[in-house]
Amino acid sequence: MVALQLFVNGIVTGCALGVVAISFSLIYSTLRIFHVAHAGIYTMGGYVAYSLVMHGVPDILALLLAMVAAAMAGAAIQVLLYQRLAARKGTHLVVLIASLGLLAVIQNLLAAIYSANILQFPGAWSGEIVNLGDGIRLTKVQFLTVIVCILAYIGMMLFAHRTLLGKRIRAVASNPFLAEITRLRPQAVYVYVIAIASAVVCLPGVLVPYDLGLQPYGGVTPLLTATIAMIAGGVGSITGAFLLSVAISVVQNLSLLVMPGEWSIGVTFFVFVIFMLFRPTGLFAAR
Amino acid sequence: MDFLLSYLVLAEIYVLLGLSTNLLVGIVGIFSVSQAAVFGVGAYIVAFFLMNTSVSFLPALAVAAICCVVLNIVVTLPSLRVSGDYFVVTSFGIQLLATAVFTNWTGGTGGANGLPGIPPPDVFGIQLASNAQLALLTSIMAGLGCIAFWLLMRAPFGRLLRAIREDELAVAAAGKNVLRAKVSAAALAGAFAGVSGGLYATFLSFIDPSSFDLDASILLLTMVVVGGARTLAGSILGPFVLLALPQLLSLVEIPTTIAAAARQLVYGLLLIVFMLFRPQGLLGEKL
Amino acid sequence: MSAPYLHVSGINKRFGGLQALNDCSFTIREGAITCLVGPNGAGKTTIFNAITGFLRPDSGQVEFRGRRISGLSPQTIVAAGIARSFQNLRLFAEISALDNVLVGMRGQFGEEPLSALFRPLKTAHAQAARRITGREILDQVGLLAQADTLVRNLSYGEQKLLTIARLLATKADLLLLDEPASGLSAGALAALMALLRRLQSAGKTLLVVEHNTRVVQQIADDVLFLHQGHLMAQGTPEAIMADPALAEIYFGGALQDHGP
Repeated sequence: MVALQLFVNGIVTGCALGVVAISFSLIYSTLRIFHVAHAGIYTMGGYVAYSLVMHGVPDILALLLAMVAAAMAGAAIQVLLYQRLAARKGTHLVVLIASLGLLAVIQNLLAAIYSANILQFPGAWSGEIVNLGDGIRLTKVQFLTVIVCILAYIGMMLFAHRTLLGKRIRAVASNPFLAEITRLRPQAVYVYVIAIASAVVCLPGVLVPYDLGLQPYGGVTPLLTATIAMIAGGVGSITGAFLLSVAISVVQNLSLLVMPGEWSIGVTFFVFVIFMLFRPTGLFAAR
Repeated sequence: MDFLLSYLVLAEIYVLLGLSTNLLVGIVGIFSVSQAAVFGVGAYIVAFFLMNTSVSFLPALAVAAICCVVLNIVVTLPSLRVSGDYFVVTSFGIQLLATAVFTNWTGGTGGANGLPGIPPPDVFGIQLASNAQLALLTSIMAGLGCIAFWLLMRAPFGRLLRAIREDELAVAAAGKNVLRAKVSAAALAGAFAGVSGGLYATFLSFIDPSSFDLDASILLLTMVVVGGARTLAGSILGPFVLLALPQLLSLVEIPTTIAAAARQLVYGLLLIVFMLFRPQGLLGEKL
Repeated sequence: MSAPYLHVSGINKRFGGLQALNDCSFTIREGAITCLVGPNGAGKTTIFNAITGFLRPDSGQVEFRGRRISGLSPQTIVAAGIARSFQNLRLFAEISALDNVLVGMRGQFGEEPLSALFRPLKTAHAQAARRITGREILDQVGLLAQADTLVRNLSYGEQKLLTIARLLATKADLLLLDEPASGLSAGALAALMALLRRLQSAGKTLLVVEHNTRVVQQIADDVLFLHQGHLMAQGTPEAIMADPALAEIYFGGALQDHGP
C-alpha cells in the first residue's frame, strides 16, 4: 500500500517535472541555449504568485499574473542578455556562464527579498484530501497539479503541431540558417519561445509550492531532473521529455522504500549515467 | 595585521583552486560547476586523516590529492564522451550529489553541522599554529602551483590543450590523442583542488558542506571570470579581488540576514556583466 | 606493378537514407599526384574521412603499404603516415602560425604534463629545436615571415598554405588535401601548384580533391572520378577529360555548383 501511494506521489511530481522538462526542451531545441536560468524563472513564478495571494488576489488570477510576469522576464532575458551575447559572438561557454550568473542573481534576489526560509501559501483549500480509494490519498492541489500539467502537455503538443507559431518554431529549431533566409525571423521566434516556455513553467512553479512550500534555491534540483528527463527522452521530443519525467519521479519515489529521501538526487543521477552509457540519444530521439 | 594574514592565506588557497578551475574551464573549455565538490573531498579527506589517525599533514595532503585526481578524472570523463551540454547536466548532478553526501553522511563528514576541531597542519614535525606560519605554508604551496601552471602552459602540453579548446577534430587529424590530453588536464585540476581543499580544512580548523556547495562553485567560476580566463595572472588576481569583495560589501549597510544572498547576488551580476562586456576578465584572454 | 601504395576496396557507407559511398574501390601510386574529382555529393570528403579513421565504413577496407588501416584511430593512421586537411581548414585561429605547425609535430618532449613539470629544462631545449624545424616547414610553404602572426590575422590564401604546413609537420608521406585550391586568387593558385609539385619531388604522395579542371590538368598524374559514392573511372587527366559521359556528369555537376 505504501508502494502504491509512493507510485501515485511519483506521478504527481513527475507531471509537474514533465512540464518543466517540456518548457526547457522547447528553449533548448530552438535557441540551442542550455538555459540554466530557467530554474530561476520557475522559482520566481512561485514567489510572484505568493506575493499576489498574500495581497488578497484570488489564486487563479495570481497564477495567471505570475505567468505573464514570467513571460515578460523570459522575453527580457532573450532581448537583453542572450541576443546581445549572440551579437558579440559569445561562445557557448560564455552564454552558459552568463545564464548561470543570471540564475544566481534571480535566486539571491528572491532570498534577499523574501528570506531564504521556506514560505507556505495561505489558504486551506490546497491541503484538503482527495481520497482515491484503497487508502490512496492526494491533496487537492496535488490532484490539480496532475490535471493541469497533463493539460499543459496536451496543449504544448497541439501548439507545436497545429498552430502557425508552433510550426514556425519547429522550422527554426530544425534549421535556424534556412529559417533566417526564408524570413521566418528566428530572432523574433526566439523571444516568443522563451516567453512561452517561461509562462508554461509557472504552472508547476506555482502549483508545486502550494504543496511543498517555496524556497529561493528550490529550482535547481527540479531543473536538473527535468533536463535529465529531456535527454533521456530524446532532445526535441515533447512526449519523451514528459514520459521520462514521470518515469524518473516514480522511480525516485519508489526508491524511498529502500533508502532515505536525501539520496534521491543520487537515484536521478544514476538514471542519467545509465542513459549516457547505453543510450545517449535518448528513447524518443527526434533526429 | 592578523586579518590581512588570514586574507592572504585564504586568497592563496583560492588561487590554487582558481588554477584548477581555469585549467578545466579556461584552458580546455569544459564548463564545470562541480570544482567545489572536488575541493570539498580534498578537505574532508585531510580532516579525516588528521583527526582520526596519526598520519601527518603532508602524507594526508598527498592522499587527498591522489583521491581528487581520480575523482576529477571520473567526474570529467563524461565530458569526453558526450557533447558539451550533457556535461553541464553531469557537472550540476555531481555537485548536488556531493552536497548530499557532505550533508547526509553524518558518520564521515559530520553532516550539516560540519567537522570542528581539525588540527593545524604539521610539516616535518613542526606544528604550524600561527597565521604567519600558515601564510608561509600557503605561499609556498600557491607559489609551487603557479610555477607548475606556468611550466605546463609554456610546454607543448599547454599548446595542445589550447588547440583542443579551439578544434578537437583538427587536433585528432594532426595525430594527437585528444582523450589523453583532456584526462591529463582533469587529473591536474583534481590535484590542485585536492591540495587546496586540504589547506582550507587545516587553516579554518572547521569545515561544513556550505563551503563546498553549488554557490561555492559559482564563486570559483566568478573568480576565474573576473580575474581572467586562461592566464596565470588572471587566476591569481581573481581570488584576491573576490575575497576582498565581502569586506567592501560590509561597508554598505546590509542587514546580516541577507548578507550571504547579497554576496551571491553580486557574484551572479559579475558573471553576467563580464560575459557581456569583458569576457576576457581583468587580466585574461577571451573565453 | 608492386603491392599498391594505398588500396581502398569495397567501401560502403550509408547515412540514413543516403548511400554516401557505394562499393568504392581504387588504388593510388606512390609518388604520384592523384586528383579526386566528381560532382558535389559524390562522396569525396566521405572517402577522406573513411581513409583517415574519422568515419567507420559499414563495410570494405583500406590498406596502406600492404597494412590494413581501416578501423584504426585517426592518430594511429597519422602515425602510419597518412595526414589529411579539411575543406574548411580547421586551423587554430587564436594561436600563431608557428604554433599551429608545432601542434602537428609528433613525439614532442613536454607534451605530457609530467615531463613538462619535472623536466622543464629539457622541455624548453626540445622546444627550441622544434621551433627551428617548425620555421623550416613554414619556409617550405612560403610563410616564414608570418611565423608569429595569429592565424586569424592571416589572409585566406596564407591560411590554406598553413594547413599544408601543418600536414607536413606530421611527417606523413601520403597527404590528403581537401580542395586546397578553392577560393584562391590566380597568384596564390600558381604558388600552390608549385608547392604541390615541390612536395611531389620531395617524395610525398598526394591525393587531392579538386574541382578546377585546369588545375587537375596541370598537376594530376592520375585522376579518380567519383560519382554517387562509386569510382566511375580512373586514368590520366587527358583520358578522363576526353570521356564524353564523364564530362556530362562532371559539367552537369559543375553547373549545378554555380547554379542558383
